[in-house]
Amino acid sequence: MKLSRIAVAIALTVAAAGAVPALLTGIPLTSVAQAATPSKLGDLSKFRKIVVDTKALVDKGDLPGAKTRIKDLETSWDEAEPSLKPRAAADWHTVDKAIDQALAALRANKPEASQCGQALTDLLRLMDEPPRP
Amino acid sequence: MTQPTQAAWPAMLNKVPEVTIAFWVIKILSTTVGETGADYLAVNVGLGSSATTGIMAALLAAALITQIQMRRYVPWIYWLTVVLVSIVGTQITDALTDGLGVSLYASTSVFAVMLAAVFAVWYGVERTLSIHTIVTTRRELFYWTAILITFALGTAAGDLATEALGLGFTVGVFAFGGLIALIWVTYAIGANPVLTFWLAYILTRPLGASIGDLLSQAREYGGAGLGTVYTSLAFLVVIALLVAFANTGQRQRPMSKTA
Repeated sequence: MKLSRIAVAIALTVAAAGAVPALLTGIPLTSVAQAATPSKLGDLSKFRKIVVDTKALVDKGDLPGAKTRIKDLETSWDEAEPSLKPRAAADWHTVDKAIDQALAALRANKPEASQCGQALTDLLRLMDEPPRP
Repeated sequence: MTQPTQAAWPAMLNKVPEVTIAFWVIKILSTTVGETGADYLAVNVGLGSSATTGIMAALLAAALITQIQMRRYVPWIYWLTVVLVSIVGTQITDALTDGLGVSLYASTSVFAVMLAAVFAVWYGVERTLSIHTIVTTRRELFYWTAILITFALGTAAGDLATEALGLGFTVGVFAFGGLIALIWVTYAIGANPVLTFWLAYILTRPLGASIGDLLSQAREYGGAGLGTVYTSLAFLVVIALLVAFANTGQRQRPMSKTA
């Protein structure tokens, strides 16, 4: 009968989707969020490293290289959005906006090293310590 | 029931599938493909979100015109249209939220009112909201308009749950799955079938997105780490198999094949 088939469909879909990652990871799903870091967003070190690399390239005067490197940040940050945003939506938006500004500075028609450096410094500060209301 | 005499130009058969187990599974998987596919095109292919939206809207228009020209339910074009509606419905909400800065509270409320308005006009004109008698182009246009809005509403409501409640994808799968199960229970004990169908339909959007995230997100975040590309491909294969082999059609009389 139609009703029971719908129920079975939903139950199977939910059960399968819930079981897969638990089996694959073999770790409690919540443990990741409790990294020893001041950010409610959790461990941002892999994103921070890209920003540090980019900043070093800007300081060397290699703006095209910096523009290439920060693309890695855009891609990995976007990919991680479904995981990071629910942890602290307001903090996520703050960092996201700062990333957008750094991207805009590096992708300007005539990028200026001082503006790029400032945008990256601001971004690093927000990653380390999001503003508290 | 007496059989009406066949007119010289036979009426269309119901253009949309019966609601079966395969219907819901394909619907949920299409939703996921819509979300992960749109993300992939915008980020990895580097088309940018406005170019992606333009391309997808054009593809949707072409698919919808093809679907409307069919005189009966044809699985591949129906489900292709659903996948494209899913992508475009998601992009409409994303454009409002990220592009225009519309709050998710506002977009969720406006889409809910719009959906109610579509149902009101649909019922006012047709005196029925039945999805078993989508047999005229006008009814079909009501049907697809409602479906497009359910995807936009489902996206906005799901994002709102993420933002306001901090609902991650793991909890999301159980929360939205649980709500759908609850709706099924109310349906089973006699709640209005039309209302419960559309409520479940809206909720399968955030459920599908949560399932997609669960499979595609990295293991360090509690996902299965498949990535968006493999998740989308795997789901597309399952959709294709179900559309090809599962009974997602409507009951039809053998003789009506020639209609």
